[in-house]
Amino acid sequence: MCVAMPGKVLSVEGTIAIVDFSGNSIRAEAGLVSVHPGDYVLVHAGCILQVLSDEDAISLADLFAELEGL
Amino acid sequence: MIDYRAYLKEYDGPPVRIMEICGTHTAAISHNGIPSLLSPKIQLISGPGCPVCVTVTEYIDRLIELSLTKDTVVATFGDMIRVTGSRQSLQDVKADGAQVRMVYSPLDMLRLAQEEPSKTFVFAAVGFETTIAVYAALLDEAIRQNIRNIRLLTSLKTMPRVIDWVCTMQGGIDGFLAPGHVSVITGSDMYEPLAKKHGVPFAVAGFEGEQLLMALYALVRTIERGDGRVMNLYPSVVSAKGNETAQHMISKYFTVCDAAWRGMGVVPDSGMILRREFEGYDAGSQFLYSDHSHHPKCRCAKVITGAEKPNDCALFGTLCTPETPQGACMVSTEGSCFSYFVNRRKA
Amino acid sequence: MSHGSGGKATSDLISSIFAHYFDNPVLAKMEDAAVVPGAARLAMTTDSFVVTPLFFAGADIGKLAVCGTVNDLAMSGATPKYLTCGFILEEGADSGDIEKIAASMADTARECGVLIVAGDTKVIEGKGGIYINTAGVGFLPDDLPAVSSASCSKGDVILLSGTLGDHHAAILSARMNITNTIQSDCAPLHGMVAALLAKNIRIKAMRDVTRGGLATILHEFSVASRGCISIDEDRIPVSAQVQGLCGILGLDPLYMGNEGKMVAVVAAGDADAALAAMKSSPYGTNAAIIGSLTAGEPGTLVLSTKAGGTRMMTELYGEGLPRIC
Repeated sequence: MCVAMPGKVLSVEGTIAIVDFSGNSIRAEAGLVSVHPGDYVLVHAGCILQVLSDEDAISLADLFAELEGL
Repeated sequence: MIDYRAYLKEYDGPPVRIMEICGTHTAAISHNGIPSLLSPKIQLISGPGCPVCVTVTEYIDRLIELSLTKDTVVATFGDMIRVTGSRQSLQDVKADGAQVRMVYSPLDMLRLAQEEPSKTFVFAAVGFETTIAVYAALLDEAIRQNIRNIRLLTSLKTMPRVIDWVCTMQGGIDGFLAPGHVSVITGSDMYEPLAKKHGVPFAVAGFEGEQLLMALYALVRTIERGDGRVMNLYPSVVSAKGNETAQHMISKYFTVCDAAWRGMGVVPDSGMILRREFEGYDAGSQFLYSDHSHHPKCRCAKVITGAEKPNDCALFGTLCTPETPQGACMVSTEGSCFSYFVNRRKA
Repeated sequence: MSHGSGGKATSDLISSIFAHYFDNPVLAKMEDAAVVPGAARLAMTTDSFVVTPLFFAGADIGKLAVCGTVNDLAMSGATPKYLTCGFILEEGADSGDIEKIAASMADTARECGVLIVAGDTKVIEGKGGIYINTAGVGFLPDDLPAVSSASCSKGDVILLSGTLGDHHAAILSARMNITNTIQSDCAPLHGMVAALLAKNIRIKAMRDVTRGGLATILHEFSVASRGCISIDEDRIPVSAQVQGLCGILGLDPLYMGNEGKMVAVVAAGDADAALAAMKSSPYGTNAAIIGSLTAGEPGTLVLSTKAGGTRMMTELYGEGLPRIC
């Protein structure tokens, strides 16, 4: 129920950000999380839910190592 | 890196039943062809996380009433337009002059409301925690910009109680694929009490093929060891505590309430509604509980809770198809029945 | 409401706009019927165009009307020759818009080598809408082999002439306030078909990919031929922008409409030549081989997904409304 997609913040003005998705830009609400131009953000129904972090690779590798280990 | 694809394809342990709660996960699983990559001993069951599917007919009826009211416009996401209430859908009443507009974002309402100040714009506010955050942001903006001609008709649902309901009232689920984007808002810690209480593992997953496979691997492995734990396989956007700003904004405008789920009846504390002090923005959301299934043989109620598969319903593919849907599971493109039908899923 | 009631105002409208832009010796006679040279076998088609907005990124209702009609004729192997064009104008329709549409139709007709030989105009009550109906006639060569989807058989190769979803995406972007540079792919395909026929490609089936999308057409082919069609998601061309739009709105490009793309099923031995023929057209730069008829359950369409799995696909159900939740 939660179609959302990561896009790149092009600009921010107050609580509105312009976010780009491979050449499609929309105005998105930016009141739920602090964003800056250049950030990659997750957008759902015209609203930014979160800024993407680099967490992925490291913690997943750890989890998998642990699951495999036993 | 472990060859999780091989593991999943060749798995030959005891049969496992994994429920994906979120409708977007159901669609992503079908879209990526995930069932074809799994051993037949790994069964995927679709759960109640499709907001359109679990909405009761009384809500749709109220929406239709509003759309036919003078100087009132109903704005909605795409799927809601074709869902039938006790008799008709919003699409049907457009022919009678009902004012209905499809939008991408609830925040589009702000612009619509400013452009036509003499009209009242009502948003068909359905959804889970992910979208509740968006409605909260909408209210925040509306109040800040002093826009008064917008309303919400809410049918907001939350995850923890309904997951508990499935485990308690039904059982038979060995592990849960936890909703990825709900968890962005709520945090993955939300599943800890459930994992402990019922002794089943939860894996928070993204929506890409690879992310789904990794999450399924983690679940099957954990089930094998009888481990009821919560694992976050979507750490790029999901944290343990979630988006606390969003959570505060949600509590500012909404409060917990009982909610009616199609097929389950009223589940206590499983919904949210506008707080008293923001009543002025509500379009009559309280106590919309009654539900009328069209066909006595419609099994949507059982399908939504994972008790039965779409193929188990006598109407599936015969009387009930996307062209002639008998229940919401077939209307919504994230409904289990729709997904199974258009992808000819047998598993 | 004086235009279109047959009196002087109507004839002023007709002569000033339509006769001017569609000018040709047949039309200039202003007779009740157009008398034109013919052929032993004719292809005929009709269609109506009601798109809004009238003008959108990459095209307009007029260009759409001509290309749509020309493409229907071309898909039967015919050389498009003559079009008729009926306008239904709601009161308040902007005459500047009408002129732009007529000009666009004339330009497109010229590119397609077709003449608009008869027309009609009616004006009705309303809010300024403009609707176009066309009929088209094409000549079929005597030696044209029968093209029928029922004849597709195992081993035949499937080609797609370019990127999916562009037209649908262009229209939807405007309605949903999403900014991008996606253009409708509205284009005439008669040249591409002529190139395929000139190379004696053994064509089993051809269709332009309009409403319902690629999946709807291929599913129909699989049912008509009682075969199994297998296609690869990886090989299906979709532009990054359209893919991005689909991600935002939760849409599937395989179910989105195009107005300038075709799919062809050809004998395996002719696949490479067919691809070259498609690419020789300015509208076929992204043409690709996307799959084939394989062993499998009859009447099925199977997609190999990017994730490495398989998924069965049916025809489009519903209107492909953007979903969000």
